[in-house]
Amino acid sequence: MSENSPDKLAIREVRLGATRAEGGTREVSYVIGGDRGLPFCGNDAGRRLVALEICDDPAIWPPVVRNYVGDLVNNPEDWAQAAERRYGADLVRLNFTSTKKRGFNAFADIASTTERVLEATTRPLIIEGSNDPQVDSEVFRRCGEAGEGERLLLGTAEADRYRSVAAAALAYGHLVIAQSPIDVNLAKQLNILLRETGVPEDRIVIDPYTGALGYGFEYSYSVMERIRLAAIAGDDDLAMPMISAPTDTLSIREVREAAPEEQDAMAVAWEFYTAYSAFVAGASVVCVRHPLTVERLKKVLEA
Amino acid sequence: MAMKALDIYKHLPKTNCKKCGYPTCLAFAMKLATGKADVEACPDLDPGAKALLGVVTRPPVRAVTIGAGERSVTIGEEFVLFRHEKTFYHPPGIMVEVSDTWTEVEVRSVVEEVRETVVHRVGQDLVLNGVAVRNESGSADRFAETVRLAGGGSSLPLVLISDDLAAFEAALAISGQYRPLIHAATADNWEPLAALAKQYGSPLVVRAGTPADLAAITAKCAEAGVADLLLDPAPGSLQGYITVATEIRRSAIERTEPALGYPIYLDAGALGETDAAVATGILKYAGIIVTPRLSRASREAALTLRQNIYTDPQHPIQVTPGVYPINNPERDAPVLLTVNFSLTYFTIVGYLEASRMPCHLLIVDTEGLSVLTSVAGGKLTETMVADALKKFGVADLVDHRILIIPGYAAPLSGKIEDATGWKVMVGPRDAADLPEYLEKEWKT
Repeated sequence: MSENSPDKLAIREVRLGATRAEGGTREVSYVIGGDRGLPFCGNDAGRRLVALEICDDPAIWPPVVRNYVGDLVNNPEDWAQAAERRYGADLVRLNFTSTKKRGFNAFADIASTTERVLEATTRPLIIEGSNDPQVDSEVFRRCGEAGEGERLLLGTAEADRYRSVAAAALAYGHLVIAQSPIDVNLAKQLNILLRETGVPEDRIVIDPYTGALGYGFEYSYSVMERIRLAAIAGDDDLAMPMISAPTDTLSIREVREAAPEEQDAMAVAWEFYTAYSAFVAGASVVCVRHPLTVERLKKVLEA
Repeated sequence: MAMKALDIYKHLPKTNCKKCGYPTCLAFAMKLATGKADVEACPDLDPGAKALLGVVTRPPVRAVTIGAGERSVTIGEEFVLFRHEKTFYHPPGIMVEVSDTWTEVEVRSVVEEVRETVVHRVGQDLVLNGVAVRNESGSADRFAETVRLAGGGSSLPLVLISDDLAAFEAALAISGQYRPLIHAATADNWEPLAALAKQYGSPLVVRAGTPADLAAITAKCAEAGVADLLLDPAPGSLQGYITVATEIRRSAIERTEPALGYPIYLDAGALGETDAAVATGILKYAGIIVTPRLSRASREAALTLRQNIYTDPQHPIQVTPGVYPINNPERDAPVLLTVNFSLTYFTIVGYLEASRMPCHLLIVDTEGLSVLTSVAGGKLTETMVADALKKFGVADLVDHRILIIPGYAAPLSGKIEDATGWKVMVGPRDAADLPEYLEKEWKT
């Protein structure tokens, strides 16, 4: 496929997390990207990571996950620790769902939760901050500062609200998730905007937005393939690793309306098929919410 | 490589005689170029030109039909490596396996499940396709008996899996008239198997560890008169499968190796991780996937993935425009506007239903485009919104005159107010934020 010389990487390498030697406190850091061609085809070198997503306010979290993890939902640091130690996630994605509350202003909690979760975990951390321009700046500043030097993966930058995330990433040495709405050209544009803001290219991870299986997942799948093909063809502005977070998967009717005894099986099957397909399309990091999905994905990736 | 329409045209008689069913030779050439017509349709082509055009114009992956009647499944006839390049046409047949060492009850329960499973999604009925019978008993009679239990091929398409010629002969005596798929011809046994396949007109799987070996055996089988072939690359791992299947599909569509221009066969149970293997087959070029019995959850996810991947990107599944009641809305319930892109619609409905908030969802026809792209491309306009409100009689459904529009349609809010006379509220961009938005902002 590639017209490039075999030495040239199609996808830039991006390091997530920082060990003590690298200026952070993680026991490991991960390099993603570094792929040379199509995913899962022969010379494919890239590492694939499974993230378990947790949150600081479970009110809007899928009931099937709340039921499965029990009391952990009320305690992000225990939940994060279980994600690594009990469920085997490569890393945790901490979603600050508390910031979605009207009039949110508990900024100090953002900093302390970030610190506590970092304390409770030994691997790199992804943070999903607010998505409200009113509070973005302060939220990203607080979590960015609390994790200074840890090379957190901070999300989510979008075309019309990327400055707060970028500023926090630049000030405290983190990485940025650049999300665009299932469109190759918009993904490229956002990467250019971030670069012009000063975010180095090896600190950007593309999130092409992932629709749930059965609800438009095919668009996301094809956009991931197209982004990867563009990178292989030499487009530097798309040569970043990708992250996929099919977060709507557990909210769909098929999972919600499953019989109680089948809820976990249904949730895991839908998350698994979606997440695994995202890897096949070229994602380096896939975020899921059900702990059992993590285990099944890890088993397949390690086979 | 494929020939362009004009290059093909040069070889045609240029008489515009219409005997091929097309109005002109050029129209016929254009159909040939896209693999949509057969050179045989032209009665006046000399044999040299026919041979030349036959090679370059037939579909790069041959269409093969397994089974007979209503439930038969046709696979292959694919033209691209990635679905965004055009589309994938023929979804893989999923065949659930049974063993001839099982009891009658066990076999029947799988057959029943394959026959009865239907998943209804967005106006389509998704089904499992057939039954694969595995000869593990060492007995030809037992194999034939299990094939008979599986319906003999008359109701559901069958795959016959064995390495014993006598077993195939016994099984084909029962099922041979229903085009069962025979698995598998290898370097050692291709000759008698090709003869059997030819005798019954059955499709035949060729199994070998490398594309070169596959090509060598399929070429011989084709020469022996078996036209309908499948390729089993006998992968040792999922990654191995993806690598070799990609190589095979590429050789086929670039026409670098005509002997690889056949659908691919994948034994999903052989690789340990059945769900991952089934998904891999769906995503990456399998024509037939043989799988151990799947749980209900896996079955639904797999069938849905197959539907998604084989949806034509040029013709997204669309929702019919109209007013949709969500959670039994009354006259004070909010009216929400959105587009007829299936992803948008189903995502919103998912969140709204989960929230239990009653509302009316007004769908306008944006030709299946998302909110963002339809606003940018002028496919969502204030006139359309005004027309839709009128056409679907929304004013008769509610006592208020307030319309909530998607966050990405905010630039249209003033124009929509002017064109409709309704008060416009700009909702969130993300469907996930809708329930909370309604809870806070909605009061009549």
